Amino acid sequence: MVMAESIAKREGDIYCRPMSSSRKSPVKKKAPARKAPARETMSAGIRWRRLIWQLALVGLVLGLLGLAWLDARVRQRFDNHQWQLPARVYARPVELYSGRELTAGNLDQLLSLLRYRADDSAGDPGSYARVSGGVLLHTRGFRDSDGGEPAQQIRLRMDGQRIGQLTDSSGKSLPVARLEPLQIGSIHPGHSEDRVLVKLEDVPPLLVHMLMATEDRSFHEHHGISIRGLLRAVFANLRAGELEQGGSTLTQQLVKNFWLTRDRTLSRKLIEIPMALLLELHYSKAQILETYLNEVYLGQDGGRAIHGMGLGAQFYFGRPLAELEPHQFAVLIGLLKGPSYYDPRRHPQRARQRRDTVLQAAAGQGLLDDKQLSYFRNKPLDIVPKGGSALYAFPHFIDLVRRQLARDYPAHILASEGLIIHSTLDVLAQLVAEQKLSEFLGPHKELNGAVVITAPDQGDVLALVGDKLPRSAGFNRALDAQRPIGSLAKPAVVLAALQQPEKFHLGTVVTDGPFEVRMEDGQIWQPKNFDNQSLGAMSVTDALAQSRNQAIARLGLDAGLSEVIRTFQKLGVQSRIPPYPSIFLGSLNLSPFETAVMYQTIATGGQRTPLRSITDVLDRHGQPLARYPVRPEQAFDPQQGYLLQWALRQAMTRGTGRYALAQLPEKLVVAGKTGTSDGQRDAWFAGFSGSHLVLVWLGRDDNGDTGFTGSSGPLRVWSSIMAALPQRPMRLAPPAGVEMVWLDADGLRRSSKGCEGAREYPLIVVSIPQQSSACGKVQSVPGGVKRWFKGLFD
Amino acid sequence: MVQRVIRLIVLLGAVLLAGCAARPSDMSAPMEMPPGDPLKGSAAESLWQMAVTAREQSNLAAAGRYLERALYMEPESSWLYRELAELRLREDDPQSAEVMIQRALRLAPPRPVYQAALWQLLATARMRQGDAPGAERARLEADMLGRRH
Repeated sequence: MVMAESIAKREGDIYCRPMSSSRKSPVKKKAPARKAPARETMSAGIRWRRLIWQLALVGLVLGLLGLAWLDARVRQRFDNHQWQLPARVYARPVELYSGRELTAGNLDQLLSLLRYRADDSAGDPGSYARVSGGVLLHTRGFRDSDGGEPAQQIRLRMDGQRIGQLTDSSGKSLPVARLEPLQIGSIHPGHSEDRVLVKLEDVPPLLVHMLMATEDRSFHEHHGISIRGLLRAVFANLRAGELEQGGSTLTQQLVKNFWLTRDRTLSRKLIEIPMALLLELHYSKAQILETYLNEVYLGQDGGRAIHGMGLGAQFYFGRPLAELEPHQFAVLIGLLKGPSYYDPRRHPQRARQRRDTVLQAAAGQGLLDDKQLSYFRNKPLDIVPKGGSALYAFPHFIDLVRRQLARDYPAHILASEGLIIHSTLDVLAQLVAEQKLSEFLGPHKELNGAVVITAPDQGDVLALVGDKLPRSAGFNRALDAQRPIGSLAKPAVVLAALQQPEKFHLGTVVTDGPFEVRMEDGQIWQPKNFDNQSLGAMSVTDALAQSRNQAIARLGLDAGLSEVIRTFQKLGVQSRIPPYPSIFLGSLNLSPFETAVMYQTIATGGQRTPLRSITDVLDRHGQPLARYPVRPEQAFDPQQGYLLQWALRQAMTRGTGRYALAQLPEKLVVAGKTGTSDGQRDAWFAGFSGSHLVLVWLGRDDNGDTGFTGSSGPLRVWSSIMAALPQRPMRLAPPAGVEMVWLDADGLRRSSKGCEGAREYPLIVVSIPQQSSACGKVQSVPGGVKRWFKGLFD
Repeated sequence: MVQRVIRLIVLLGAVLLAGCAARPSDMSAPMEMPPGDPLKGSAAESLWQMAVTAREQSNLAAAGRYLERALYMEPESSWLYRELAELRLREDDPQSAEVMIQRALRLAPPRPVYQAALWQLLATARMRQGDAPGAERARLEADMLGRRH
């Protein structure tokens, strides 16, 4: 204002004086000519000044417009920001209840995977203490579609191989509790940000104070920029002889991360300052701090960018942020200066030095006393080895989850909405499967394999191994290896026959002998047995139990090729089934997973249950979005399903699976089938108890000879897996409509116990022969009213 | 096949006559967990009770989750399968409900009233799938068991 007035005064002087002099002396007409250069100079100066003034005005207007634009940009981005949160996949939570089979070793394994820390009082979530006769646990709590589980202190009293008693912290008996589920992966596209959102109130205050001590000591005083802080940083850096502190405030750093590039240019700095001021104008310190803590970049994991302190804690220490100690906070804060340069896995020495600098800065602000400083400086980095994290442990199972999720959720939703996926993975079963497969294949370098474990009643995939190196994320043999299933096809042939109960039953005699079939294309098919022998007449049961090719091939032809194909489909096979009789003996390429689908239906006694790897999907706040309930279908009559199971039990007791008997508990009733493809290129075993279906495949990637049959290879792996899992025997009671009947050796007449060649079979009522052999006693059952009603309902 | 149809007609006539007789009183009583079911007194019973509460609050997703967890703990419980079947019917999934009832029947203790109620539920599930003959057969079985009681 003052300046404007003085300019006007000077301009008045310049313009007024010549006008008055011209009125007084009209003769002095030449004077203007003499004074012209001076006036021209003055008017040029005026013009320049006017121009500058105008330019200043324009600049001011442009500046204000620019500021308004920046203001809009800041507010728009901050208000509407959506964190990019990949879907997280969790294993099945571990149920704890009195009577549950759980060894002390299993419990230790779980606590180690969940990174529980030993603590005398188990006072905080994620800690445990060994107490007399058991363990005191402080669980972490989690959300689930049934509401989830609170963090709580519980006491387990172990009783041998089981949980004897479960109580809460006050000693009151608890019926059931759950350990939080282990995170086993996240679903994100090739290149994306990943983070675990944290709320400011959940962030340990010490972390925040240490962050400020290192990065911005006047955070609560400044308005976005801090001249004092800048000067102090310069001074501190000069004194330390290294770049100890940055000049930017946390607000400026957030602006830089959020809106600007990482380039260190003057123009960026000029934009950064007003944006920081605007940010502080519109938002509280708490909002800015919380956003900063979730935004900061802390490292790279392949295509996944690690953002935020929450994920940083998980990525580097395998624990939630709230459970970290001061020296671990210091590592995370130290990474802000250069996540790659100070990467604690690649450059532990540098990371440690930087950590100690942060600890020193914290001590300098009175956050740690000398004793604490010394204590934490002497601590190791405590970094979780990258391969040791459960996030990378089960790539083949995650592959399955990803494929099943892709049916219902587009990729961008999975990559950004922070969905919580509860899967069916049983970590203990998975580790057993991996270990047993690797142990067996150890000496056989050229061999590889796959294992699928499911829970028959639920259809849950409990474990999936697609490589003998289970942490390798390469070719997933469990899902993608399409191999001939060999004799694993035979139960489908028998089942196709059993669906014609007037014609076939388990005692029906078939001939194991050479024969040939002329195909439509003129080729001759001549099935042969593995031992190149033919054993002659035998029951369907024996043909299956002893895996006789010629007998089963004859049965298949009698039952009908189309019936067998339809049976495969009803069992759950979705791949194309070639319409040739060679499928009776397994010239049918299926993946181990699809073969497990087929055996799942057999293990349930005829109920086709789609195998699921997901139970629930929740949103980022833990609210249920979708359930994947068990949805079985009745594919076969329960009676037919029972007969097939019974025949497969014979395969275990006196057929090709009998090796397993000596390996398993005596009371454990199991059923199963071996399979070997031509040239022993593939060796299979699929078998089940009441609680587990386990399928094992062994083969070579070059399709060469494995040197194993189903009995000599996969059955060994299967038995060792089954022996290591908690088991429940199969149900033995036949369903209504099935009776145990003694039959003659020819299977055509009823007989009695003790008669020559007589054997007892479970038969569907309509299959029971009316006639009895001479030796067989004529029994009244099943006749009369009972038989009449059974015939009606069955 | 013809023989079966004749049998069915005869049986239907018998049932019509039997309909004049009094229906067993506890057939209409609310269904209860049968004595001898392994769920009784087990750790899983608390999960079942939570499932009942969730179902009463129309939170079917939570109820299903509780029941599935309970079944892992007590897989031989006929009652849990019955409860899951009822839930599936409420979720309008009679096909799964039928399978669950078949499992419940397979595990059912020898209690005619309880078994009759399962057959009745099976009739409902079949009817909801449009399987009228199947539903009728199940209903007849339920009636026979009811009379046996």
